[in-house]
Amino acid sequence: MSAESPSSVRKVVVHLRATGDAPILKQSKFKIAGTDKFVKVIDFLRRQLHRETMFVYVNSAFSPNPDELVIDLFNNFGFDGKLVVNYACSMAWG
Amino acid sequence: MDLNGAVADIIPWDGSLSSSDFFLSARTFSEKWKMFNPSFPPWQWIPCPKQHLVASHKVEGYLSMENMCHIKSSEEEESNRSLTWEEDSNDSQREEPFDCGTLVCPEHEVNHYDFHIVYSSSYRVPVLYFRSYHSDGQLLPFNEIEKDLPCHSAKLLSESKWTFITHEEHPHLNRPWYKLHPCGTSEWMKLLYDGDSSLNRNGFVIEHYLVSWFSVIGQVVGLKIPLEMLDTVVSNDS
Repeated sequence: MSAESPSSVRKVVVHLRATGDAPILKQSKFKIAGTDKFVKVIDFLRRQLHRETMFVYVNSAFSPNPDELVIDLFNNFGFDGKLVVNYACSMAWG
Repeated sequence: MDLNGAVADIIPWDGSLSSSDFFLSARTFSEKWKMFNPSFPPWQWIPCPKQHLVASHKVEGYLSMENMCHIKSSEEEESNRSLTWEEDSNDSQREEPFDCGTLVCPEHEVNHYDFHIVYSSSYRVPVLYFRSYHSDGQLLPFNEIEKDLPCHSAKLLSESKWTFITHEEHPHLNRPWYKLHPCGTSEWMKLLYDGDSSLNRNGFVIEHYLVSWFSVIGQVVGLKIPLEMLDTVVSNDS
């Protein structure tokens, strides 16, 4: 148990990239446990930017469901050892 | 901002879709859905009768996925709300509810959901329509539907009551259905694809438009796209 076992809780590097009118974060890369759900990334952004509604998406292709595990997203869409997540503030429905 | 015609073939895409592109994209979406989501009912293309004097090459219709079941257990867990497909209803989509003697089991109440993806020619984007009914066919009032929605949608609903989900006439069925408001759609679709300026991905974008669109829209009503399906919309350039 005391020995380092990197495989037990795999950390994923998430790179947060601002798009549209979203402010850029001071620290744009951080590590998160692969076992965490994507909602944790969304909540982090909400807190950092003091916004209720955010538009968060990956690979210019889709918006991940908050229930997805970060490790699954990384395994499918990670590139260069990190998962790039785009965020924008202007998410309007109507 | 305004580059008037100087570079004709690099007109910035506005995030919208033509009706024939909608048809193309709908086909890709329903094929992928069938392949990667076999436990769910398929999205079927419902052709609509053409109106007189409308150009004959126009493809009119919408996508339909009917009779999804939302099962409510007596002690429902907040985080576990989701739509599940319970069992097939033997082809006949508009079955009359069986009515020989009524057995009510309140602890296992099932709400049925029908979803349609209809093209809006005024906004030039797909629009999600839905309705919900009890097993006996009675339509659910909106405050009951609200309880089935994921909590983030319910929250959004309380904040923007008239611009998120509204009750409107279904454009092909002429009956009132619930509708997710399409005003913002082209804006966020544009945003979604904007990061990728490297290639002329236009054909690619059009084909996968509906999959990307549904990754956002599905979250509102608690429908999830499997990652393997999303894998196919990520272009593997460089």
